[in-house]
Amino acid sequence: MTALVEMKDLKKTYKMGETYVKALDGINLTIKKDEFVSIVGPSGSGKSTLMNMIGCLDALDEGTYFLEGTDVSELSSSKLALIRSKKIGFIFQGFNLLSKLTALENVEMPLIYQNYSHKNRKKKAIEALEKVGLGDRLHHKPTELSGGQQQRVAIARALVADPPIILADEPTGNLDSKSGKEIMDMLVDLHKQGNTIILITHDTYIANTARRKIVLKDGKITEDVEVS
Amino acid sequence: MGFLLALKMAIASIISNKWRTFLTMLGVIIGVAAVIAATGFAMGSTASITSSIEDLGSNTLTVTLFNKGTNRDLSYNEFIAFTEENSKYIEAVSPTVTGNATIKYEAESYENSQIIGTNAAYELVKNSHVQDGRYILDLDLEFRQKIAVIGTAVVNNLFDSKDQALGAYIKIDGTPFKVVGILDEKEGGQEGSSDDAILIPLTTAQRMFSSAKINNFTILVSDSELVDETVVVLETFLTEFYGTDDSYRVFNLAMILDTLSEVTDTLALILGGIAVISLLVGGIGIMNIMLVSVTERTREIGIRKAIGAKRSSIMTQFIIEAVVVTGLGGIIGIIIGILSIQLLISKFVPPVIDTMWVFVSFGFSLVIGLVFGIFPALKAANLNPIEALRSE
Repeated sequence: MTALVEMKDLKKTYKMGETYVKALDGINLTIKKDEFVSIVGPSGSGKSTLMNMIGCLDALDEGTYFLEGTDVSELSSSKLALIRSKKIGFIFQGFNLLSKLTALENVEMPLIYQNYSHKNRKKKAIEALEKVGLGDRLHHKPTELSGGQQQRVAIARALVADPPIILADEPTGNLDSKSGKEIMDMLVDLHKQGNTIILITHDTYIANTARRKIVLKDGKITEDVEVS
Repeated sequence: MGFLLALKMAIASIISNKWRTFLTMLGVIIGVAAVIAATGFAMGSTASITSSIEDLGSNTLTVTLFNKGTNRDLSYNEFIAFTEENSKYIEAVSPTVTGNATIKYEAESYENSQIIGTNAAYELVKNSHVQDGRYILDLDLEFRQKIAVIGTAVVNNLFDSKDQALGAYIKIDGTPFKVVGILDEKEGGQEGSSDDAILIPLTTAQRMFSSAKINNFTILVSDSELVDETVVVLETFLTEFYGTDDSYRVFNLAMILDTLSEVTDTLALILGGIAVISLLVGGIGIMNIMLVSVTERTREIGIRKAIGAKRSSIMTQFIIEAVVVTGLGGIIGIIIGILSIQLLISKFVPPVIDTMWVFVSFGFSLVIGLVFGIFPALKAANLNPIEALRSE
C-alpha cells in the first residue's frame, strides 16, 4: 500500500529581510494510513512550514513530496486547491471559521468548492456536525458558540469531505484546559474510527496523546518514536 | 463553484455592508440616470420639434414682406403672377391677413381666436382640412362672402356640439358670419393652439381689418427636393424687385428643423459625455471599495483557499460582487432616470423612453463592474493562503 505522505530530502528556504532561513533542511518522512502522528518542536523549528508543506499550502524548494502517490511538486495552483479540498482536512489554532456564516454554512464550504449539489452538501454537513455533537447548533454563528464548540465546528469542516488526512495545527492552543481535553479526546476518537491524523504542537504533553511522535529542531527531524 | 452560489454570496456580502455599497454605487446610479434622462430629453425635444414642423409641412416656405428700406411696393397680384410663372417650383400660394376680434354666438362671447383671412389654397399649403362642412372657396373671395371655417377650440368655447355649430351664425366684431366648416383637430382642441382659429375669405378679412396690403404668403413647394432652389429663385426675384434684401424674409422650415436638431444632438452629446464620465468615476469608486474589501477579507480569502477554493473561484466571487453592485446601481439609475423623464422632463418636452438606451446603459454598468472588478479580484485570487491566514 502506498504511503499517504512520503517526503524525501525535502528542503524549504525563506528569505527574511536580507538573510535566508532554512526552515526545512532535508526532511525524510513517511506517514501511512490510520496513523496518529504528532509533530512537535519549539517555535522556529520549522513545524509550521512542514504543516504548510503537508497541507499543500506552500511549494517546496528541493526534494520530493508524494501525497497518496501523487507528485505534489509538479501540480498547478488550481490542482493544489483541489487536492487541499479533497485530501486534507485543516484544523487551525484560531478555528478560522467565517464569522458571517452559520455553523452549517461553514461546514458546507469545502463541499462547495468540490461542486457538491445543494442537497448532498447539506446532508453531509449536518452529518459531520452531528458527529462532533453539534447537531443542535446548525444555525448558530461562530460568535454565538463557545471556543470549544467553534473548534468542533472546525473539526466538522475538516471531516465533511472525508479527506484521508486530518491536519491539526495547535488545535487546543486557543482553548481552556477543559475544552482542550474535549478536543483531544475527539481527535483520539476520530483516529479510532479510522482517520489519519497529523497533529502539530509545541506542547509535549499534547504530543504524547498521539501514537507516533516526531520531534523537529532547526528544520531537521531529531526524533521519531512510537508513543506507548 | 456555481454561478448562483457566487451570486448568493455576493448578495450576502452587499447586504452586510448596505450603506457602503449604496454610496459606492451612487456614481453608477447618477451616471445611468443621467444617460436615460439626457437621451430622453434630446429625443423628446427632437420628436416635438419634428412633429410641429411636419404639421406645418416640411416643404412649405413662408414669405413676409416688410416694404421697408425701399420705395417700391410689391402688390398682391404681382406676387401671385410671379408664383404662377414659376409653377415648376411653386405648387400653391396662400396669402394670409390675420387679426383678432371678439366673437359672439347668442349669449356666448369669446376673444382669443386668431382670425385668418385666406384663400382656398390654404387647405393644401397648411395641410389643414375640414372634418365637417366645406372649405373656403375662391368663389367666396370673389363675392366677399361672410362665411367662416372654425377650429375645434372655437366650437368648444361657443357651442354645445359640432352639429349646432355647422350652419350657425357667429358675430365677428358685430358682423354675422355663417359657419360652413369645422377644421380637423390637430392639438387637442386647446385654446391658443392651431385649433383656435377662424378662417374667413381673404377679401372679407381685408375689408374687415381695413388692410388692403397682404404681407404674408405661405408657399407650397412642388417637391421637397426643390425647396433650396425655390428659396434662391424667390430671393433673387424679391431682391431684384426691392433693390435690397432687407425688405422681405423667406423662412424655410426645413432649415429651422436642421438647426434645432443639431442643437439637441449637441446637447445630447454633452449630457451623454458627462454621464459616461460619471459612470467611469463610479467605476473607479467601485474598484477602490473592492480593494478595501479584499484587504478586509484577506483572512476569509485565506481560509477559503486553505479549504480548497481555486484562484478562479475567488476571482469569480469578487467579480460577481462588483458586477452585482454596478448592475444594481444600473437598475436604480434606470428607475430614477425614467422617473425624472416622467415627472420632470415631461413638463417641457414629450416624454420619450428609449428602450435601446435603457439596455445600453444597463449593459454599460455591468461592463464597468466587470472591468473595475477584475483588478481587485485578481489581487484577492493571488493572495498567498499562508500569509492570508496569518493576517488579522
